[in-house]
Amino acid sequence: MKVVHNPDLCTGHGRCYALVPELFGDDEFGHGYVLGDGTLTAEQVAAAQRAVAACPERAITLVDD
Amino acid sequence: MTDVINDPQPFRNNAPLQLDRAVGWDYFTAPGEVYERDGAYYLTSIEAIRFAHQHPEVFSSAKAFDSLGSPVPLIPIAIDPPQQIRYRRILDPMFAPRVVTPLEPELRRQVREIIEAFAAKGECEVIRDLGSLYPTGVILTLFGMPLKDRDTFIEWSEAIIETSGKNAASDMSQAQMEAAMNLFGYLQGYITEKRANPGNDSLSAVLALSGDDAWTDEEVLGLCFLFVIAGLDTVTAAISYLMYHLAIRPDLQRAIKETPDLGAKVIEEVLRLELPAPLTPRVTLSDTEVCGVKIPAGAFTFLVLGAANREDRPIPDDIDVENADRGHLTFGGGVHRCMGSHLARRELKLMLEEFLALIPEFSLAPGTQPVCKWPGGTLHLESVNLVWNTGAAQ
Ligand code: HEM
Ligand code: SF4
Repeated sequence: MKVVHNPDLCTGHGRCYALVPELFGDDEFGHGYVLGDGTLTAEQVAAAQRAVAACPERAITLVDD
Repeated sequence: MTDVINDPQPFRNNAPLQLDRAVGWDYFTAPGEVYERDGAYYLTSIEAIRFAHQHPEVFSSAKAFDSLGSPVPLIPIAIDPPQQIRYRRILDPMFAPRVVTPLEPELRRQVREIIEAFAAKGECEVIRDLGSLYPTGVILTLFGMPLKDRDTFIEWSEAIIETSGKNAASDMSQAQMEAAMNLFGYLQGYITEKRANPGNDSLSAVLALSGDDAWTDEEVLGLCFLFVIAGLDTVTAAISYLMYHLAIRPDLQRAIKETPDLGAKVIEEVLRLELPAPLTPRVTLSDTEVCGVKIPAGAFTFLVLGAANREDRPIPDDIDVENADRGHLTFGGGVHRCMGSHLARRELKLMLEEFLALIPEFSLAPGTQPVCKWPGGTLHLESVNLVWNTGAAQ
């Protein structure tokens, strides 16, 4: 499982990095990005799902790798 | 935030939002997800609003704020992409969390001072004693303006906000115009001063831009003016709602004191339920179709954010901390996503922490019932009278 962030949809609501700082960082525009390559351990999946639900722009998705 | 459209809009104006906003959102949701009333279109579902947010080339903001009658361009709220995107690339870094975070100690100090002034009295009126003072101090701090100008600043901005959105006329009233002129004079003085002696604040950063990126004084004035309209009474409103909901829920006050992390969740839920800017305006630039409903070009359209925030929720109309992390549209979405959202959330968090630290359990003053004025600009409670026991141990 991998978490993917779509910069074209992200407008910087900042919910991902506020709620799940272990998976997301914030850039100088206040937009989010995935820390590392997005590969999730089994324990991280729930946190990633939290970010998916939190993003008002639906910019975060989970994909099978 | 003032929503703006040429009155009359009887359907919008008759919405029953005064006592219980849930009843008002029901009123907007009842006719469907997309519909027309009195010549204006209403989008009430998440899908419909997302469509408008994703298509600013159809749902334009450029004409939507005209009836504010602002003498300066309202940057960036009344500007469409691609120019709006250029402004945001410059402005977003000045309002990003990494800029807000270092301000925290100063913002905390300010709100503590405000609360300390009434803590011993055992009562306060939230709007007057806290809600209007704090956001104004924050904006002055952000722009590197002296805090001593706060009361004058509040006077002008209240005169401007008070009248806007309530008048049918697209022109500013005499009093509004006078206040705006005073404010512009004040801001212009600062712009001149900051151009000569730049400080370490966001206004100086905008003024320092050079070459193709350089801003004219008119653009800077428009930006400052928008902050007055968008960044003051929206936060005042949010503070009024938060304190109201806590006042009627002493159990929540206790729970937050025991588990401080709960504070942020309660703030998110109050933001979801009680929107300072519940309807954002757009004008269609071409014929379009949203959720199967055709909308002609040139149509005024309201995005009813408050209605969409209740969709698909297990507890739509009450604080639901279990689902507090789920996204909502209170700060809008798409390219015009509220630029002050990081700042606003921080202001609310610091205010709540300091209030709960300094004031023991509080409730509404007996016999008072906070109500919203509607129709109006920003949707906010007109007054929230709180009381607490000063003898109680804290
Ligand atoms: C709880 C408080 C606030 C709420 C609920 C709120 C709500 C909103 C909403 C819904 C929009 C989108 C308008 C649209 O789509 O047409 C918006 C835009 C904006 N807000 Fe806020 N706001 C708040 C606080 C602030 C603060 C504190 C500031 C300034 C420091 C601010 C500055 C702005 C600006 C500049 C825009 C225009 C952004 C653009 O058009 O690109 N807001 N706000
Ligand atoms: S929550 Fe969504 S829109 Fe906000 S920063 Fe994260 S990805 Fe971007």
